[in-house]
Amino acid sequence: MITELGHFALILAFVTSLCVAILPLVGLRTGLASLSALAAPATLLMAGAVSFAFMALVAAFVTSDFSVALVAAHSHSTKPMIYKISGTWGNHEGSLLLWILILVLFGGLLALRGREMNFGLKVRTLAVQAMVTAGFLAFCLFTSNPFARLDEAPLDGRGLNPILQDPGLALHPPTLYVGYVGLSLAFAFAVAGLIEGRIDRAWARHVRPWISAAWCALTAGIALGSWWAYYELGWGGWWFWDPVENASLMPWLAATALLHSTIVVEQRDRLKSWTVLLAILAFSLSLVGTFIVRSGLLTSVHSFASDPARGVFILGILLAAIGVPLLLFAIRGPQLSSRNDHVLISRESGLILNNFLLTAATVVVLVGTFYPLALEMVNGARITVGPPYFDATFNPIMAVLVLAMALGPLTAWRRGTLPSLRLSLGLAAAGAVLAIGVGMALANGISAAGLAGLGLLGWLALAITGDILHRLKPWRGGIGTRAAVLPMPVWGMWTAHAGMVVFLVGALGNGLFQTEVIVRALPGDSVDVAGKTMTLRAVEARQGPNYVTETAIIELRDGTDLMAFMTPEKRFYNAERQTTTEAAIRPRIGGDDYAVLGDGDATSGYTLRLYRKPFVSWIWAGAGLMAVGGAMAALGRRQRRPAPLADSLRTAT
Amino acid sequence: MTGAHSGRTGRLRLSFIIPLAGFLLLAGFATMALMATLRGERDMSQLPSAMVGKPAPAIMLPSLLDEGRTVSAGDFAGRAFLVNVFASWCAPCRAEAPALALLAEEIAIMGIAYKDRPGDSRRFLTDYGDPFATIGIDRDGDAGMKWGVYGVPETFLVDANGTILLRHAGPIDRRVLDEVLWPAIRKLP
Repeated sequence: MITELGHFALILAFVTSLCVAILPLVGLRTGLASLSALAAPATLLMAGAVSFAFMALVAAFVTSDFSVALVAAHSHSTKPMIYKISGTWGNHEGSLLLWILILVLFGGLLALRGREMNFGLKVRTLAVQAMVTAGFLAFCLFTSNPFARLDEAPLDGRGLNPILQDPGLALHPPTLYVGYVGLSLAFAFAVAGLIEGRIDRAWARHVRPWISAAWCALTAGIALGSWWAYYELGWGGWWFWDPVENASLMPWLAATALLHSTIVVEQRDRLKSWTVLLAILAFSLSLVGTFIVRSGLLTSVHSFASDPARGVFILGILLAAIGVPLLLFAIRGPQLSSRNDHVLISRESGLILNNFLLTAATVVVLVGTFYPLALEMVNGARITVGPPYFDATFNPIMAVLVLAMALGPLTAWRRGTLPSLRLSLGLAAAGAVLAIGVGMALANGISAAGLAGLGLLGWLALAITGDILHRLKPWRGGIGTRAAVLPMPVWGMWTAHAGMVVFLVGALGNGLFQTEVIVRALPGDSVDVAGKTMTLRAVEARQGPNYVTETAIIELRDGTDLMAFMTPEKRFYNAERQTTTEAAIRPRIGGDDYAVLGDGDATSGYTLRLYRKPFVSWIWAGAGLMAVGGAMAALGRRQRRPAPLADSLRTAT
Repeated sequence: MTGAHSGRTGRLRLSFIIPLAGFLLLAGFATMALMATLRGERDMSQLPSAMVGKPAPAIMLPSLLDEGRTVSAGDFAGRAFLVNVFASWCAPCRAEAPALALLAEEIAIMGIAYKDRPGDSRRFLTDYGDPFATIGIDRDGDAGMKWGVYGVPETFLVDANGTILLRHAGPIDRRVLDEVLWPAIRKLP
């Protein structure tokens, strides 16, 4: 019964979305205020209806209602409760519904907030958001109905891919989707601005928190995915340049560019048409990322062939959602042009360089991801260009970006002079030299690229320190006042940029100084891994809730001190007849000990892969800091600085 | 509506049309590919290659497993053999490991570890099996260039005279095995 109500709620939401997409725009054009006033409440109705539908689907999974086709195909009665719930979005239909849910919730938030927004802009933004919603609700209802029933309910479900039975799955897709879908608001703002024919500083001020929020979620989502791959796949790596990962990296790069170009619009009323284009492209990349590349919604390009209706439908939505705004941009964009009167050394120039590099990086990832896909389309060959391609193209661009990232925040708007940067530049250069020196002292035969990476790390770290010292001037009195009047987004920027430093420590520490040992060991054998001793004690069978394991017990000793027992496992899932590898990881700030159990038996020995991965957890800590910085920028905007504080500043100086 | 854009009829400008044009080009390509798939016209057979019919490149590569030795296509003089270009970072290569193991029972396979760190290649063999008679390290992709490789995995069949008979790009699955490689291997003298 509740399943049918859920289906009904989804239909109601679809009809409402069509109304919100059309009527308020008609109202604005004809002056019928009652029609345009409809936008906000109807958006809230839509949000409520989709939330209900989603809860109905979760209920079907929780109660293991196998008369629902989706539950029968993707769940199993013996599955732990948390994975029954997360299984709701571990499949095409469910993840599509989650995607739509986040889309309408973002619309709902905008409907509730944004009171100080220009009424026309708000209504048009909600209408554009509803158009996107209508498209995906139609896709969901007509080709991927999650509420379809089976005539005869099976006794038990077909289960869920064991690799997906993991806490990471419960968190990663929803967070990532919040990021993807959050960009829809930037997109809706951009299209609404194009319809209105006006992009101004107020537009930028209103859209910035949403972009920051989406960027924050996207960063956290990608970090969670990378962390999940690190501990669940048992490959010891944290980024594989897999199409799924690239699909999330492309919108992230575009959103990072957008985040920075919006600042130029807000502060200087420049770069407007470019910012609008970026907003459209960032969401387009999200759409392409979610729907074309396999990431839960469409498992592979072959899904097109297996279900023609879905392929045609999604292509139609993409054509409309990307093509129409780009057409609008071609017609209206020229009106948005702004003068180019900035000088070479200025904050604007720095941000334009930032945008140029991030766009180049996006294109590089796009080509590396779609060249193999396009080739597969043409002749069916599934090849991959892999890390060698990205190392040669993406890394140098990022290196220049980090170089510039240190300088950008130091320069002033309109015009900057090199002497004013002397303190920070000196510090940064000293940092680079120091880091290279430490690198050469620590490791013999370190590559030139590795040294360059370390130099950049030192350069960026001390440039940020220099900037903070320069702005707060702790050697003079009144540091508290200076800190208090600094806008929250500046703190957010420092946090996010510091996150980049922390990230680089992890990426370089792990990339340059990792130790890896592969051995075939019998119980009792000891192996030296980066100065510590790992001893295989035993391999035994254990029983999990819905799997059995082969668990190795490995003793980790530093000298004679016993530090830990590590227990890497291989799990055999009965219902699904699949095997997964569970790495044993001992994470510490200074680095992780990582052990994986491979094939083997008690007579010929077991294959063990043992690692020491210095600073590897800093990778995700850095991404976390970046996300926190994004959140600070998103939330800090809301509160305007009260006037008395500004007065106190004036009297203080 | 307010007079936000009244009276300002912007002229079209080329730079603002480029994004739309680029998108339409991509979309056209995607539509054609999709339509071709739906009509069942897209034939997923192997690539025509400039290398087929040519002698196998005689490039010398350092051996992955026997330090200090070199391997080359010349090692197989007088015998037919397969050449498989693989890398540890290549996901489809993991998928074709069982097929290579089957093939290795019938015919010698020379492996080329393409743009890969030797340690990673060895780990790959530990995890997914080693079907190769010899393996050459192609750190910088020079051998790949000579063989006309444009991605991994790729497989070549070379006859006893050292002439390339066939090339397959992409992983070897059941269908490729049954319809392409086994027939070609059976036809060998």
